[in-house]
Amino acid sequence: MSGLFNPTVAWITVRATLSRKRALLFALPAAILILFTVALKASRAPMRPWPSHVLGTFGFSVLLPLTALIIGTSVLGAEIDDGSIVHLLATPVRRSSVVVTKFLVATGLTMLFAAVPELIAALIAGGGTAPPTAPAGTTGSPGTFAGPVAISGSKLAIGLFVGALACCVIYNAVFLMLSVATTRAIAVGLLYVLVWEVLLANFVSGVRLLSVSHYGLGIANGFASDSALQAGLTVLTSVIMGAIVTAAALALAVNLLSSFTLKGEPA
Amino acid sequence: MTIELRNVSRWYGNVVAVNDITMSIGPGVTGLLGPNGAGKSTIMHMIAGFLPPSRGELTITGPGGTGEAAPSWRNPAVYRRVGLVPERDSVYAFLTGEQFVTATARLHELPDPAAAAARAIATLDMADAADRKIATYSKGMRQRIKVAAALVHDPEILLLDEPFNGMDPRQRLHMMELLDKLGSEGRTIVFSSHILEEVERLSGTIQVVVAGRLAASGDFRAIRRLMTSRPHVFTVRSSDDRLLGGILIGRPAVRAVELTRNGLQVRTSDYGAFCRDIAVLARDHSIRLREVLPADESLESVFAYLVAS
Amino acid sequence: MPEPALSASATGVIHDLGYRGYDGPRQGRAQIVRALTWHSFRSAFGIGRGVKGKIIPALAFIAMCLPALVNAFAVARGNQRLFGYDVYVPNLRAAVVIVFIAAQAPELVSRDLRSRVLPLYFCRPLRRSDYPLAKYLAMTGALLILIEVPLLILYVGTIASAKGGSAIWHETRALIPGLGVGLMYAALFAAIGLVLASLTGRRAYSTGIVAIACILTFFVALLLIQAEGGQSATATGARIAGLFSPFTIIDGVRVWLGGSAQTGFVADPGRYGPLYGVLAVALLAACLGGLAARYRKVSQS
Repeated sequence: MSGLFNPTVAWITVRATLSRKRALLFALPAAILILFTVALKASRAPMRPWPSHVLGTFGFSVLLPLTALIIGTSVLGAEIDDGSIVHLLATPVRRSSVVVTKFLVATGLTMLFAAVPELIAALIAGGGTAPPTAPAGTTGSPGTFAGPVAISGSKLAIGLFVGALACCVIYNAVFLMLSVATTRAIAVGLLYVLVWEVLLANFVSGVRLLSVSHYGLGIANGFASDSALQAGLTVLTSVIMGAIVTAAALALAVNLLSSFTLKGEPA
Repeated sequence: MTIELRNVSRWYGNVVAVNDITMSIGPGVTGLLGPNGAGKSTIMHMIAGFLPPSRGELTITGPGGTGEAAPSWRNPAVYRRVGLVPERDSVYAFLTGEQFVTATARLHELPDPAAAAARAIATLDMADAADRKIATYSKGMRQRIKVAAALVHDPEILLLDEPFNGMDPRQRLHMMELLDKLGSEGRTIVFSSHILEEVERLSGTIQVVVAGRLAASGDFRAIRRLMTSRPHVFTVRSSDDRLLGGILIGRPAVRAVELTRNGLQVRTSDYGAFCRDIAVLARDHSIRLREVLPADESLESVFAYLVAS
Repeated sequence: MPEPALSASATGVIHDLGYRGYDGPRQGRAQIVRALTWHSFRSAFGIGRGVKGKIIPALAFIAMCLPALVNAFAVARGNQRLFGYDVYVPNLRAAVVIVFIAAQAPELVSRDLRSRVLPLYFCRPLRRSDYPLAKYLAMTGALLILIEVPLLILYVGTIASAKGGSAIWHETRALIPGLGVGLMYAALFAAIGLVLASLTGRRAYSTGIVAIACILTFFVALLLIQAEGGQSATATGARIAGLFSPFTIIDGVRVWLGGSAQTGFVADPGRYGPLYGVLAVALLAACLGGLAARYRKVSQS
């Protein structure tokens, strides 16, 4: 098979992912993000550092992983679940081709539904710079955005966008691999995002080395050089770890898919 | 092309699904028969490359002796020559029939996918329904579109897992004619079923699998003859067992008579003749029959007999 | 074996040897509901399903208990109790509750929908409203275990190193409201999780729907609170911002009923406190009503 990308597989995947009500499910967070941003901007809320909170906390730590989770697990997971993957696998298409094609489709869709709205919201929020006020009660708020935003809004926006793109790539690789490895991929992914990334990474600094959102933050930081991002990792570490995780996840997915078995009776 | 199984076993933990099966499947139509739970699906999945054998070797040999035998497990290239119709009723419901078969043709890297798809669809008589979404198809139509997709690349081996499930008699007839035609073209067709009568009309060999073991293989008619000529056992209770026993042993259809506390155990080699005889004999000698029970009529006992022999 | 019919004519006879009726005493409706509740409660923890089904509940439970265990060690070393009973570790609790109901509510309701056993359930003397009732009780019970047991561990760990009866009494008095807040959480989130999960038979979709609904509303509410000035703000906006998510609603009720506003999620609702209470009850009623309505009409597919 020439090349790793298979247009037919891609076409089927896009049709399958977008043809169900599920498409609403992952358009929803993006819509809410943009609505929220518009509403906040219009209402001229008293407390200023809201762009970093909205875009960072909500956009980066919630919207992005959630959207990537729904999309990444469904490009392959849905077909495995209802058995239609057999029609795809009973052809000479290389398993690596299947995985990579679906991965690219998932990444593209996630970029469209999460990273782009993030950018749009960031541009809408515009130069939401604030006087460096001490953040209040941040122990109660998840996410890592705690400090004042003292730099230009567009630089932050670009930085966040690039970081978001990187996160799309890495998250989708991990979630795709999860969807081949287990039937409860969404639950496991949720566990990872909510408990591992959001909670533990704030308590234990070593955990950051294995946290995808921190790779993204590190890359975003490399562009925006914003201390408010509180990226725990350097750009170099983020890029290297991100690449390693992506490659490892995809390789594992290919191996698992090559050993795909049909049991006697569907479970 | 031949499919070779050598001492193939498959187990899940403590449960042995397939127990040391050796068989060779060549060109023509072969039916994999057996009761439910016998391991037919397991064997089909192993042949199709979607389940590795726990022990033994399963290989598919190249066409006409160009022969490197290759296993089907973890070997996607084998699907150039193999078409699979899975049992599970799951297809891409959002595609039309024609899109589905054409996409399959593209995945097989055929030079002219649209033409191949049209051919396959016409063979299965689905041309007028091909532009509707598969979600609107009936069960029989879904089955046929799956077969069309399996045939689109002109495979030498066609595997069908319970293809007649959910088909009405007319569709079944058409499918059998199609399989017969494909088989006589020299392809290797393997299908699984648990209903003997379904495969009656199909010429060819059958492999009978019972409880994971190969119970019988060979020509269908020969096996059928074997089955009808096995000795049947009857339990007879009457008003005078000893007298009846003495009369029965003189009949040509009766092989053995045993006098037990529960009545007579009669072994006969001709079921029909015995049934006719016993009523007449009893009436002629004024013996009242209280009970005439065939002792082993179940399918399992038939298969068990085959296994034992 | 069937007895042969000896009649010479072409009539047939069916011998009713198989099914036998039962005329003895039967256990009543309460027993049915109890049996279904117990069975569902066990499925909520993956019991009876094999190892894989137990992983997520086990991880969730362990994650919830960890802070309590850490506290036990800290208190033994002479420190103060680390966490309040009424808020515990708010973020961890919220995260674990979300993961648990997103993963397990589908186990309770979506499985039955997918395998189409509901007609089998309802052609028995099980009333239409009893099925969702049993499921709700089971899920609430499961969440209670998840939420209250860590509080109890916290309590035991603290009083083990307590000095004197008055310290123990003080701890006990602090524990009781905490258990009450936990009960509110369990009751509300069981209802939300079940009604959302009962929308579809595919477990993956249900998990996604529950997760997205809970997480989105939670963060929207949090952000609103932040935007309106944080937890110590007194503007109206800050006070009512907590109405947008179940987590913050309950937290608002907690503060209204006397809890401290600095330790949880929301700002002090002040005179809007009753609004939180009303909304909590209304949300619960709506979810339960929706759940009951869902099963009123059950098709075969």
